[in-house]
Amino acid sequence: MKDRSKLRGRDVVATSVVGLRSRRGRTVLTALGIAIGIASMVAVVGISSSSKAALLAQLDSLGTNLLQVEAATGGLSIEPLPIDAEPMIRRIDTVQDASAVIDTGFEVRRNAYDDTLVGINALGVTPEFFETLQVTTTAGRPLEEGMRSLPVVVLGEVAAVRLGIHDLEGGPTINVEGHNFAVIGILDALPLNPDLSRKVLIGDEAAVAMLAVAPNPTSVYVRIDPDLVAETRPLLAPTANPGRPAKVKVSRPSDLLEARAEVDQNLQNLLLALGGVALLVGGVGIANVMVISVLERRGEIGLRRALGATRGHIRSQFVLEAALLSGLGGVLGVLLGSGITTVYARRQDWVVDLPPTALLAGVGAALAIGMFAGLYPAAKAARLDPALAVSGGTG
Amino acid sequence: MSTATESSLSSVPPNPGAAVLELQDVHRTYPGSPPVEALVGVDLRVEAGEMLAVVGPSGSGKSTLLNIMGTLDRPTRGTLLIEGTDTSKLNDRRLSGLRSARLGFVFQSFHLIETLSALDNVATGLLYRGATGRTRRKMAEVALERVGLGDRLHARPTKLSGGQRQRVAIARAIVAEPSLILADEPTGNLDTATGEGIVELLQRLNADGSTIVVITHDPDLAERLPRRVEVRDGAVLDGTVFDGTVLGGGVR
Ligand SMILES: Nc1ncnc2c1ncn2[C@@H]1O[C@H](COP(=O)(O)OP(=O)(O)OP(=O)(O)O)[C@@H](O)[C@H]1O
Ligand SMILES: [Mg+2]
Repeated sequence: MKDRSKLRGRDVVATSVVGLRSRRGRTVLTALGIAIGIASMVAVVGISSSSKAALLAQLDSLGTNLLQVEAATGGLSIEPLPIDAEPMIRRIDTVQDASAVIDTGFEVRRNAYDDTLVGINALGVTPEFFETLQVTTTAGRPLEEGMRSLPVVVLGEVAAVRLGIHDLEGGPTINVEGHNFAVIGILDALPLNPDLSRKVLIGDEAAVAMLAVAPNPTSVYVRIDPDLVAETRPLLAPTANPGRPAKVKVSRPSDLLEARAEVDQNLQNLLLALGGVALLVGGVGIANVMVISVLERRGEIGLRRALGATRGHIRSQFVLEAALLSGLGGVLGVLLGSGITTVYARRQDWVVDLPPTALLAGVGAALAIGMFAGLYPAAKAARLDPALAVSGGTG
Repeated sequence: MSTATESSLSSVPPNPGAAVLELQDVHRTYPGSPPVEALVGVDLRVEAGEMLAVVGPSGSGKSTLLNIMGTLDRPTRGTLLIEGTDTSKLNDRRLSGLRSARLGFVFQSFHLIETLSALDNVATGLLYRGATGRTRRKMAEVALERVGLGDRLHARPTKLSGGQRQRVAIARAIVAEPSLILADEPTGNLDTATGEGIVELLQRLNADGSTIVVITHDPDLAERLPRRVEVRDGAVLDGTVFDGTVLGGGVR
């Protein structure tokens, strides 16, 4: 028998499009659910990849070859580093620079008569400190050789703000334990070592002589050959304190930044989960709307069956309608998500990084969700009794 | 009227005298409590080129009969032959194929798709034949011209009168050149004058060779058709009346 029903592929699509176009308002509203889900996913991926790219670029410029060697806290007592920890570390071949600092533990006041403490400690440093940390001053100048025993001080960026000193006009001073120190400079930001921005830096000799602190360094900052960081790192603790290497803690400040990026990862996962929920809800919404659509369109379904549509034709029409509906949401979502990413990244001064695979995956996921959501309503449509459907009867 | 029948018989039928459709002892019982016996042993033959009216009171089983003739429904018992093919042996796909090629439907409620133009509505009559869009539209235009709507090709159904809508539906039913056109109360939603026009159109199509079965409970309409079949309580009362004689309605 040659009487075969046949529906061309392009006509399957055209038929589904007709179905969607005839209910425009509903189509757009339904697609919106998926759009929001896909948009949040795309935005999360886009923003995180833009931020990662920006972070990597930042880390590259700051250098990941700076390590901090310090006396380990923990246990009952702190075992101070030996006095010659810095020269010993300098002796390692791969060490480019090293600089000891002494945390005096004393807090700074604006002047001898002001009892307000602002949570700013004084640190004893050598002039090498500025080279090792590769930091410059925004006002004045750093400590120089010959100033190590003078009552002069360089303020960290945050410390300067807290102390209310914005420039060197009028020769500002600060007070530590009754001693006045003349401010000779204010430091630039230290993205890798934000803790140092909350310190004021005095000469190591001044710290020992005027404030009577032990000359043992509390930390040594070490700059290492960038290609040999991993190899050098294990040598630092035994070199700094050969007697008690376990009492030495070695850390890499850039790891902290990376760790902060990891914290962002948690937020990202949360946002991705929210996007997932939006997609799930969107998918259920599509299934819902399609079920309603099938009920409303019994007459049309009956007509198509009378015109020769097979159950398969009806099923593919509705599955495809659901997929297109969702796919439309996917396209909207990708556009929206890309827009959000672009605006956000621009604000942060990042380069916009939108992975093309993520964009394709967004549309693909939407199509798949729609197809899946359409399966049940389409099966319902295909199962309709044609005689009942044309008569517009129920049951 | 008999002239129309003769002219159609002389013009087209591929297999003169062969039954386009044949029902043999067809029963249809709708399940339920109690079950409804909508058809109880119907025998009916429709020959190529015929035009017949199926009449009967509401609930007598006319629509059930038409749905079974159109393979939209299957008999609970008995046989339906379409151009010699036993439809009880066909699966859903084959039946769909049969409908797409050999049957045309006209419904009381038109069943037009509102977002499509008259032309595109008629073209859906060929959609499941696998014809290209171009061919479909070309044939749809011809069909619309045949029903007198050659000037309203691009109008949406909402812009058309009831009679025009039914003409579009009729054009859709004939566009694939089916062997049999089944119309269930085609004038049911139309006023008398408009319904008149539809009947005349169907008669003209029949004169041009189409085989047509019209369900109606309008006796005036039925009387104008060359053959009437009356259904009462699921049974065909009197198989065939070829003249204008009113059927004995009191038999019960
Ligand atoms: N799907 C169904 N389920 C159960 N009973 C049905 C169904 N369809 C029709 N019936 C019953 O079958 C009988 C015949 O119905 P049918 O629709 O064929 O009558 P009809 O002659 O077309 O009536 P009308 O002139 O009102 O259209 C009626 O008693 C009706 O209630
Ligand atoms: Mg009826």
